[in-house]
Amino acid sequence: MSEKKINICHLYPDLLNLYGDTGNIICLKSRIERRGIECSVTGLSVGEKLDPSKYDLFFIGGGQDFEQDVLIGDAETNKKAGIKEAMEDGKTFLAICGGYQILGDYYETWDGNKMKFMGCIDYFTKGHPDRMIGNYMFTCDALDGEKIVGFENHSGKTYLGSGVDSIGDVLKGFGNNGEDGREGMHYKNVFGAYCHGPMLPKNPKFCDLLISTALERKYGSASLEPLDDTLENNAHDYMVARLSE
Amino acid sequence: MPGRVGLKICPDLLGYLAKDVRSIVITGTNGKTTTSRMVEQTLISSGVSYFANKSGANMMNGITTEFAVNATLTGKPTKKFAIIESDEAAFKTVSKYIDAECVVATNVFRDQLDRYGEITHTLNNIRIGIENSPNATVCLNADCSLTASLREELPNDLILFGVNVPIYKKTIREASDAPYCIHCKHEYEYEYITFGHLGKYRCPNCGYERPEPDVKVTRVISSDADSSTVMIDAFGSEQVATVNLPGGYNIYNAAACVAVANAMGFGTEKAVGALADFECGFGRMEKFELDGTETRMILIKNPAGCNQVLNFLSNISEKTLFVCCLNDNYADGRDISWIWDVDFESLCDISDNITGVLVSGIRADDMAMRFKYAGIPEEKIEVIKDYEKLIERFTAQDEPVYIMPTYTAMMDLRAMISKKYGYKNFWE
Repeated sequence: MSEKKINICHLYPDLLNLYGDTGNIICLKSRIERRGIECSVTGLSVGEKLDPSKYDLFFIGGGQDFEQDVLIGDAETNKKAGIKEAMEDGKTFLAICGGYQILGDYYETWDGNKMKFMGCIDYFTKGHPDRMIGNYMFTCDALDGEKIVGFENHSGKTYLGSGVDSIGDVLKGFGNNGEDGREGMHYKNVFGAYCHGPMLPKNPKFCDLLISTALERKYGSASLEPLDDTLENNAHDYMVARLSE
Repeated sequence: MPGRVGLKICPDLLGYLAKDVRSIVITGTNGKTTTSRMVEQTLISSGVSYFANKSGANMMNGITTEFAVNATLTGKPTKKFAIIESDEAAFKTVSKYIDAECVVATNVFRDQLDRYGEITHTLNNIRIGIENSPNATVCLNADCSLTASLREELPNDLILFGVNVPIYKKTIREASDAPYCIHCKHEYEYEYITFGHLGKYRCPNCGYERPEPDVKVTRVISSDADSSTVMIDAFGSEQVATVNLPGGYNIYNAAACVAVANAMGFGTEKAVGALADFECGFGRMEKFELDGTETRMILIKNPAGCNQVLNFLSNISEKTLFVCCLNDNYADGRDISWIWDVDFESLCDISDNITGVLVSGIRADDMAMRFKYAGIPEEKIEVIKDYEKLIERFTAQDEPVYIMPTYTAMMDLRAMISKKYGYKNFWE
């Protein structure tokens, strides 16, 4: 048994928990623990100050507009500084949909109202009257083009700043904005995507990428024992095949 | 579909057909079908003529069809009452044509968000529908902070229903769909929770709180795998009622039915009698036997509904085989992420009693993976995508079977069972 431990911070679990995104936490915890590594999950919601030194991996999920309104003030006062510090410090993040948008600079509604977001990374989102909904597929550059599958459901179109990478290229569906063929955001060890599904269970290689990134940052090395991913790969391959038709 | 053709020729067809019918419209995320069947039994016991749209035909076309087949050639109604189950999004439109005498909103939970959008959007659709129904007595669930908020500034007569005590000794872990105040976005405080976000809530910031219901369950006397017995207080008079369906969510449906009976003038006693007599069927804890195997079918469609099913299943104390069929057609919701918002982990509490979990449907692979991460041993999970083989597999063993299908999976499964056993629509 190793002495290693990964501490996960789940930001706003009671507010940003749309579309099964919590499945990402279930998946991370299971895949960490099955490697004999200890794992703790701490939820931090409104009114709780983030101390970034306590955590190795951060997750922030999607929410509805109502919930995003509830937390935006708290994000500014209690979380933003800690999140920025952790990001620059090379810690691992996964942000999905609304959580992805919130880390950016702002959201502009389609009729021109601007809402200031956290401004942690250089990108912004513009509302659009038509929703982008459906199963979709994109590549992951950090995994040599491995195909990621999931379900997108967003009306915001996200545009990345010049120093920010995408996760990869859209193979099927809309992705960030349905215009430039890119999906998600990748900055240092921070990943953002529109990918519900939830993202991690049926993309086990991507889940392991997050885990090994966090382990490497903390312990300097990370070799993950392989797991039996038969069921995971079946679910992944089924959707890849369906979207490749 | 006569409704679709008729609506093309005459968009106001529904308004014309519905003019002289006393209509009860039932909407909300969960419990529409069961509440409708309970109300139907109340009308049967009262000896009045009525018709009802059958489950699934709850959008504009299906509803118009139902009114058309219950009218003479010149459009005069042949029945006095109509019980209309209406999809929340369709209610907004349907209500323009039907001058309902009673409207019921059962609850608002997160549903298939690819179809309905955000939860507040669903609530707004119901609000517009009620505004289109100025002559209706409106029956609202007091325990749902979202639904109950509809009563504010409403000129209609109101009947609030609810449950005044916690229902379960132990409830499963589930995320609340409405933890924050609908008015001021401050976190609610709860004196008790019945399930989901339902219960006695109060906002400590602005004071918005659960209103005291007119029709309320004051005690759960007993509950088992087949029924619940409760004390119902309707406008100050108490009666013992036996609800011929298990599960806490059916206690809410029963309270809604008593509210409707009062709104329509049938009285509490007729409703209470009906609750003991009615049979729901059609995937609502529906029981049948296949080759000697006791089989129950429970439709699943969203996290809140499915969590309630699991609340019930995780209390089973006999050996059981589970079957779960997950489709992602439009009527099921194309996004299947919601299965991760369901506490399938609660099945681990009864894992010794689970002889196996069979998964099927278009998204069987996702479902199998979900059970794996819920902690069901992988050797107990079997993927059988072919329905014929699936039925052969579970009828070849003797333990009771619980089938949990999504909507279109249930329809396919029914068709296969009918074909295999030569039953003609065995569920009717």
